[in-house]
Amino acid sequence: MPGRAGPPRARFPMPAELPLLGRAADAVLVRRTAGLPAGQAEAITGHRFLAEVALLSARLPADGAPASVADDAPAAGGAARHAINLCADRYHAILGFAAALARGHVTLLSSDRSPRRLRELAAAYPGAYALCDEPIDDAPLPVVPVSSAPQPGGMPAGATAPNPAIPAGRVAAIAFTSGSTGVPVAHRKPWGSLVTGAGAAAARFGLDDPADPATVVATVPPQHMYGFETSVMLPLQAPCAVHAGAAFYPDDVARALRAMPGRRVLVTTPLQLRSLLVAAEGATDRAAGERGGSGQGEEGQDEGSRGTGGLSLPPLGALISATAPLAASLAEAAEAALGAPVLEIYGATEVGSIASRRTLAGPDWLPYRGTTLRLDGAGEAWAAVPGLPETALADEIALTDSGGFRLLGRRADMVKLAGRRTSLGHLNRLLNAIPGVQDGAFMAPDDLERNPAARLAAFAVAPGLTAADILTALREQVEPVFLPRPLLLLPRLPRDAVGKLQRGTLDSLRRGALSGVPAFP
Amino acid sequence: MSTTVDLEAEVAKLIVESLHLEVQPAEIAPDAPLFGEGLGLDSIDALEIALAISRRYGFQLRSDDERNHRIFASLRSLAAHIEQHRTR
Repeated sequence: MPGRAGPPRARFPMPAELPLLGRAADAVLVRRTAGLPAGQAEAITGHRFLAEVALLSARLPADGAPASVADDAPAAGGAARHAINLCADRYHAILGFAAALARGHVTLLSSDRSPRRLRELAAAYPGAYALCDEPIDDAPLPVVPVSSAPQPGGMPAGATAPNPAIPAGRVAAIAFTSGSTGVPVAHRKPWGSLVTGAGAAAARFGLDDPADPATVVATVPPQHMYGFETSVMLPLQAPCAVHAGAAFYPDDVARALRAMPGRRVLVTTPLQLRSLLVAAEGATDRAAGERGGSGQGEEGQDEGSRGTGGLSLPPLGALISATAPLAASLAEAAEAALGAPVLEIYGATEVGSIASRRTLAGPDWLPYRGTTLRLDGAGEAWAAVPGLPETALADEIALTDSGGFRLLGRRADMVKLAGRRTSLGHLNRLLNAIPGVQDGAFMAPDDLERNPAARLAAFAVAPGLTAADILTALREQVEPVFLPRPLLLLPRLPRDAVGKLQRGTLDSLRRGALSGVPAFP
Repeated sequence: MSTTVDLEAEVAKLIVESLHLEVQPAEIAPDAPLFGEGLGLDSIDALEIALAISRRYGFQLRSDDERNHRIFASLRSLAAHIEQHRTR
């Protein structure tokens, strides 16, 4: 089973303590555009950040005992206090994480903020509180509001706040995977492993030069492991800044990029990259058409813009994608449109980011500095990352002579969508447990890993039920991204003589139901 | 600003067609939530809807719009937002 942890293997030299802010305090950590005229950004320095960390950490609830990675049950007596960081603004998310860390509180990374998930977390981590920068309805746990007032003049003269030294072995955060049974599995992230991971990523992506600081615009939430590493840990530990605001829709991304000075690095996913390129193309089409480029041009075109429509993109230093394999066609279109190398990160919630490649350079991945991979006698891949126990991967890999590796496919019946993972076996059990379902099966289409908009399909024999009934029942237990489209009701499932499902038949049925789906681009 | 029932029906059709939902457009209750507990849409859908809207109505959705939660609150609010911002 992936995610299984083995004993610690090679010991990576790790200092006993590492500072919260691993870079010069007068440097810019965050650039914020909210509330400012288009193209302008407020710069938040390390000095201001440390001062606000001190203020916020003093407002947090009383401490539990700081957790170390050796602890077992999260709810054990005397356990650390836990903070669920729900902040939408990235600066608030960084501030909340840092304030909790300075107090020895463990941040729970949950991008699922549904009331049900929050109730589960509150029950699993007694004493947990939520850090929020927006009102939250019916919060099932205490809420600590997080805010930050713009201070154009900087910190008051003479004000200096400490840069807390954090024990490297202290659990700073816990990330979750779905687990093969559907019960979320917690993965503890000691501070030392996060710091060394950030340093390795910065070195790999050229984000380690204080003389040439980049600004990261991330479209992934800071509560997802990939977003946490790239938009929370990087600005804390590497000489680069991060854009604070929301960047989800193509127009958000384009405006955020235009407002950032210097070298821009876009951190995104295949799905969002595809949307961005389609929207940029559409803008060009519109400008060329009779309607001209009107409609979205009120913000003006900033320096260095590409394209002529409303959705103009400035030149990028690099584009980084993760969460799913990026199709070469999409990478090629992105490099052409953005004039920057398209780089991919390989990682998993259990171990974080561990390798990268330039998509168009070929199939080989190069592990991060300090990370080693090995295959055990059964062919299972294990990753040893500084500061973490050795961990089994969910993918099958082949090691190459040059110290890299290739991905051969996902193990067993694991499926991954929108950065979330589950198994077909688990989904099939849920489907077949629905009263009235006599037989049923999920199917992952062949293009699931290549087509960012691909979904699972499901087939069910359920006389007396409608597809909507079944979806309603599934929705109670299945994350929305894994809900099937289409869900087809059949008189019986096509099985061969030994009862094995006939995948070809199911796939034609699926394709028939989806006919007319536009493919990229 | 009031929205015509026609536009609501058109947007419902756009949503169902672009997302390949298992419901008929007419079955989407105008006041029911589109995300989470209601129609059960997610962030992948939000991007697809944004693309479909920009193609059909000629404007881009944004997340930092203060009314963003309200825009996607229901079919009715989404249609009203489209009515206000459409360029075609």
